[in-house]
Amino acid sequence: MDFVPKAPREGINVSKTHPLKEAATLILGICGVLVLLFVVLAVSIDVAVRFIPPDMESKVFSSVDLDDVFEAVADERTEKVQDLVDRLARHWEDAPYTFRAVVIGSDDPNAAALPGGTILVTAALLDDVETENELAFVLGHELGHFKNRDHLRRLGRETVYALAFAAVSGVGGGSIPDLATISKELTSRGFDRGQERAADHFGLEIVYKEYGHVGSAWDFFERLATQALVAKVLVAYLSTHPASDRRIDDLKDFALKQGWALEGPAEEL
Amino acid sequence: MLLSNTETIPGKTIVEFYGVVSGNTVRAKHVGRDIMAGLKNIVGGELKGYTELLGESRQEATNRMVEQAQSMGANAVVNVRFATSSVAQGAAELFAYGTAVRVE
Amino acid sequence: MDQDTATWIDGCIGCSGILWPFFLLLVTYFIGNYIERRHLQDILAREAKHRSFPVVTFETVPEGWNVTDVGLVQGSVVISVDYFKRFLAALRGIIGGRIKSYEPLLDRARREATLRMIEDARARGYNGVLNARLETSRLATGRANNKGIAGVELLAFGTGVKLG
Repeated sequence: MDFVPKAPREGINVSKTHPLKEAATLILGICGVLVLLFVVLAVSIDVAVRFIPPDMESKVFSSVDLDDVFEAVADERTEKVQDLVDRLARHWEDAPYTFRAVVIGSDDPNAAALPGGTILVTAALLDDVETENELAFVLGHELGHFKNRDHLRRLGRETVYALAFAAVSGVGGGSIPDLATISKELTSRGFDRGQERAADHFGLEIVYKEYGHVGSAWDFFERLATQALVAKVLVAYLSTHPASDRRIDDLKDFALKQGWALEGPAEEL
Repeated sequence: MLLSNTETIPGKTIVEFYGVVSGNTVRAKHVGRDIMAGLKNIVGGELKGYTELLGESRQEATNRMVEQAQSMGANAVVNVRFATSSVAQGAAELFAYGTAVRVE
Repeated sequence: MDQDTATWIDGCIGCSGILWPFFLLLVTYFIGNYIERRHLQDILAREAKHRSFPVVTFETVPEGWNVTDVGLVQGSVVISVDYFKRFLAALRGIIGGRIKSYEPLLDRARREATLRMIEDARARGYNGVLNARLETSRLATGRANNKGIAGVELLAFGTGVKLG
């Protein structure tokens, strides 16, 4: 036998698929499945939350004495805010909560709805608002969170996501957590923004019922929109609330659709 | 294309030999098979899923080796050997190699 | 700054927060691809040079070969797997199927090991290699969370023969 030197054709032992294309397909496929999983979990939580009666929620959370946690400022402003909350809550028929207003001394203008019926308002917010209508809208927004059981929903969702995350992390040797985090972030942001919009709409409706118009309701946010650019960008990125200008546009559209007057006298604070 | 893992093809003579040809594939199993295998690990028995998987991969590797031999103009591959190794977690590389020759 | 720029900056910051793992993947892909292509050129050049050196997997001494001396020759190489390839392999580990990203790697490793065996044989004065064998093994990372492999070792060995 003779030796005849020959070489085989190049590339028989490699695939012709471009690696980047394969990476894109795999990533999108897996992210798609994960996003679907997270959406299904979030929707089931939304359904389950409706079965938790508000009085059970009030009982569990009212036992926590919030005065110990926050430095509450008990002055005449608290009484005024409580008064406004009571007036607004009257427009929500059969509200299952007794609302309690608490003012805390903080430099950050903010408001929060705590489980059990407590509405938290910071002193800085009270300093920043100029008309009663603005404060009414902020309080109405928090009432909206109570109506939709948003805090319970968010709590349930976070818990279920953590469990799903733990279950999924073991699979596939380590790259899954990155993809799972990304999928979770995408679905979370969507759901959170949806909740905030719903709370906004409810707040605006309450304002309309109280004053007969929605003028000056979002002045506070318009002032926020003209803040320094850097602060706005950071706030927009870090918060789940939609950016102020988008929020204002959405509120205007909603009010117009409902046929509410956009102008009207503003009440003094 | 004649394949054999003997040194020569019985009844034929090797006229020319060209060199070593090889084919390989790397295959991973999916989570479904993983879970079934985990269960089988408890009771014992053949892991049919894996048998199938590796069988297919071996066939693919052999096809690639044959393709290389064909591109050289050979009509037989002698002394074929197989090797299996684990190159990634949950994946196996199937390797087939032999010498491409022309027999008459 | 106008509204459009503001929204654009907002979007960039948001996206980069989520997308930085993909930037890492892209970077490692391009670097790995470059290294791979360079190695392949080197391999092709050396293979052309050693084309006339006979290597076979069988033991039978071809007729007309007058063997005067034999010895064991070998060549080995350890090739590392870049992050991009490991990532793709991990995804494949979930879905199943051919890990296409490893194929060029193993191809290169095998050819490099064979070339080194030939170079070893040539350096020692042999004129051919009989009974060549190839072995592959995986190197463990040695870390607790086995996120992948550190590299693949390819060993090629055979019997070098001197022809008189």
